[in-house]
Amino acid sequence: MLTTLPLLTILIFLPLAGALCLVPLWHREERVRRLALGAGLAELALTGWLALAAPGLPQVQGAPAGFFFWEDLPWIGRFGIRYTVGMDGISLLMALLTAFVTVIALAVSWNAVKERVALHYLLILVMASGIMGVFLSLDLFLFYLFWEVMLVPMFFLIGIWGHGRRIYSAVKFFLYTLAGSLLMLLAIIGVYLIHGTQAGSYTFALPALVHTQMAPRTAGWLFAAFLLAFAIKVPVFPLHTWLPDAHTDAPTAGSVILAGLLLKTGAYGIIRFGYPLFPAAAASFAPLLTVLAVTGIVYGSWVAYAQADMKRLVAYSSVGHMGFVALGIAAWTPVSLSGSVLQMVNHGVTTGALFALVGMLDERAETREIEAFGGLWGKVPLFSAFFLLFSMASAGLPGLNNFAGEFTVLAGSFRVFPLAVVLAFVGIILPLVYTIKLVQQLLFVTERRPLPMSDLSWREGGILALLAVTAIYLGVHPAPFLDLVKVPVGLLTGTH
Amino acid sequence: MTIADIWSIMPLLILACGALTVLLLGAVAPGRYSTAIGVVTLVGAALWCLQHTPEAAVPTLGVALTPFARFFTALFSLTAAVVLLLSRDYNERRGIRGEEYPATVLFAVFGMGVLSASTNFLPLFLGLEGLTFAFYFLVAIDRERPESGEAGLKYLLMGAVAAAFTAFGIALIYAGTGALDVAPAMHALFREGKGNPLLLAGLGFLLAGVAFKISLVPAHLWTPDVYQGAPAPVVAFLSTASKGAAVVFLLLLLPAAGMGEALRIPLWGLSLLSMVVGNLAALLQKNLKRMLAYSAIAQMGYVTLALLSGDGGGYGAAAFYVVAYTAMNLAAFGAVASLTEGEEFGDMEDYRGLGFERPFQGGVLALAMFALAGIPPTAGFTGKFFIFAAALRRGEIVLAVIGILTAVVSVYYYLRVVVNLYMRPAEGEVVAARGTLPETVSLAAAAVVILVLGIFPGPLMEFVISLFR
Repeated sequence: MLTTLPLLTILIFLPLAGALCLVPLWHREERVRRLALGAGLAELALTGWLALAAPGLPQVQGAPAGFFFWEDLPWIGRFGIRYTVGMDGISLLMALLTAFVTVIALAVSWNAVKERVALHYLLILVMASGIMGVFLSLDLFLFYLFWEVMLVPMFFLIGIWGHGRRIYSAVKFFLYTLAGSLLMLLAIIGVYLIHGTQAGSYTFALPALVHTQMAPRTAGWLFAAFLLAFAIKVPVFPLHTWLPDAHTDAPTAGSVILAGLLLKTGAYGIIRFGYPLFPAAAASFAPLLTVLAVTGIVYGSWVAYAQADMKRLVAYSSVGHMGFVALGIAAWTPVSLSGSVLQMVNHGVTTGALFALVGMLDERAETREIEAFGGLWGKVPLFSAFFLLFSMASAGLPGLNNFAGEFTVLAGSFRVFPLAVVLAFVGIILPLVYTIKLVQQLLFVTERRPLPMSDLSWREGGILALLAVTAIYLGVHPAPFLDLVKVPVGLLTGTH
Repeated sequence: MTIADIWSIMPLLILACGALTVLLLGAVAPGRYSTAIGVVTLVGAALWCLQHTPEAAVPTLGVALTPFARFFTALFSLTAAVVLLLSRDYNERRGIRGEEYPATVLFAVFGMGVLSASTNFLPLFLGLEGLTFAFYFLVAIDRERPESGEAGLKYLLMGAVAAAFTAFGIALIYAGTGALDVAPAMHALFREGKGNPLLLAGLGFLLAGVAFKISLVPAHLWTPDVYQGAPAPVVAFLSTASKGAAVVFLLLLLPAAGMGEALRIPLWGLSLLSMVVGNLAALLQKNLKRMLAYSAIAQMGYVTLALLSGDGGGYGAAAFYVVAYTAMNLAAFGAVASLTEGEEFGDMEDYRGLGFERPFQGGVLALAMFALAGIPPTAGFTGKFFIFAAALRRGEIVLAVIGILTAVVSVYYYLRVVVNLYMRPAEGEVVAARGTLPETVSLAAAAVVILVLGIFPGPLMEFVISLFR
């Protein structure tokens, strides 16, 4: 039964179907919330079931090695465009993360969003479909389609429900990412034409395009276009300037999805498409990417320390954490790449949790200034405990998830770029500095201003507990996740 | 002329007879049924075109209703039908009355049909001028408002010059090649007449005349004023069918000519200037219709890029884009028309909050903006994709990269409309009209076409490519 149902198609379009079901209930907000959360949970259940069932399945016929699921249909025949979706260990992990973060995003908006509720939930679900599509597409045209489709709901989320300079941030986010994407579109067409002239048959299928022979100069240009599009999303320093604005001004659900998922699509794109399509060009770009990654690690943490706004602080910390992902990709060894993939999940969980926590503070006190708070430990103990836990996770405390990812990246990259790894180790210390400052100012200094604070509700506690269990599990026992990516990472790095 | 000839040009006859009927009806029963008869006539002509009749040439008239001609006549007829549906209530709200409006729309489509079916330079010119003549009239039809008359005068003056250019170009080509039939003339022009200054001048004049119609930079100056001044449904018609007909004009000439350097260089320049100037100037506009005018200039720059990449599959891409662009602009100007209560909203700021106050019309307008910006899954994305694929295949890498970069710029001004619709609250009482049934049907049809062509562009693309075999 597993192989007869188009499971991946269901996985991609289930949230979209849920979104359409919201339309008849437009003004009944309570029902809209429940239905949307139900759709999110159904998606998560389906993904979880696939994750449990997948490793035991036999190799799908017609699919490249390492893929558990594979669906392939003709779409635009003349151009060799097909609807090809597949799932290997890396996409499976990303799909799990997508479904998980979507549920968190739906849950944190429960009380925070009071206006245009149905539209808010509809956009989150549409975005979940788009992101799922990005992680599962293996046809470059299809991939590009999902890649751009997922921008539109985020643009509306930031622009309609955002804070501060929301319109500026929404437009900046959209234009910044689109500028990179459109050049990638030309590069995609370029690869397609070069392959077509060589092979005699035109196709956008990734497995076929991987074997394209190219002049080094051409490959360099095309890879640069791919890398630009993906690096903007990751974001790699110095292409990160959209991120602090977008994260800070987005509503909580928007920040959670941005940090938890959209940044991952960039890293995923480099791993899935950038390197395999242009291995030689990628190797020649690796030193540059390494320098930028390490700069990002140090710079992100450095700037995070100077922030007065908590959300901006978490946003800049993302730049630092994603630098580790970029470093692991640049080194391109089996260990470093596994670390990168693991770190993508870790960062999604911890930063998502931190944005959720900041959102909860903002809901109560209506400010995000670090200076405004103090003494929360005595006032709201449950909240403070979770805050401490996720701050420590973000700072890379051993036993929690980020440590596992960052350590694997560094261990895997050391042989290739020893100097960069040494510098990046400094980057592990810096987060500790701003995290301790944040925790101290927020939780332990005496209260500066009387703010209306109440401890977590059942719903909020549930969300955070779910995230905390995931973070601890990933930190203590990452082996099942690393096993999942072992085969695809081996195939990608040519060591399997 | 034989009975068979008459039979084969039936769609054109239906259009002409329909136009006359509407006019005559005004004398008998003024103010009634004229829109209905117009729509029925147009849909009838379109259906006649779309059925599979054997290809028939009528040499005595210089027309042949090839599949190419039938396809575009059907497209223009359906566009005009949508325009009539959009105009009915708009005209009533604005006090534009009379049978001459639907009749002129039908005459314009007749001109487009003749143009699409021409095999000879004379009907080609007559078709082009016939449809332009109808537009002189339509642009100025709102007699109550001076800006409509001003737009009409500007269009007339510039159009007359362009017509003279076109006619003189045709005359020079005739003088140089001795042929008025398109195929032998173009053949003589490009295969044999290389470097003949008379012919090159003729070609230049012809291109200049058509560039005016398509409003390519530097022949674009009339466009913003006319778009701003003319009634919204007329602009919807002008920006889709009239531009489409001018692109058809080039599609009739260029494949017969083959892309030599003599054609490539001017088209390259026109495309580059239109993409750059159109997109940059659109950034500065505050008036929505004016912004869409510059956007139209830029969009036609992309079509020109497709035309000059004809050997790489660009003719098919251009034809596809004409269809996609028709749907997008009908949606955009249709939404503007259907939101107009008394006076048209000029400023983009006037659209604040309408995405929530008028969800359907606002939604269609936003969809049109995303489509024009080339965001998937819309016809604007697939259309641009086909154009850039053809351009790269032809080796026009520089122009394709410039085109993509200017497309990034264009996203900014399209987003500004969306920002006003959804992200800025409405101030005061909302005066926008609620859509009537014909308007809702038209807008829904345009929106469906935008999405269907964005998700399943395959069948249409196959078909338009087959037209150039």
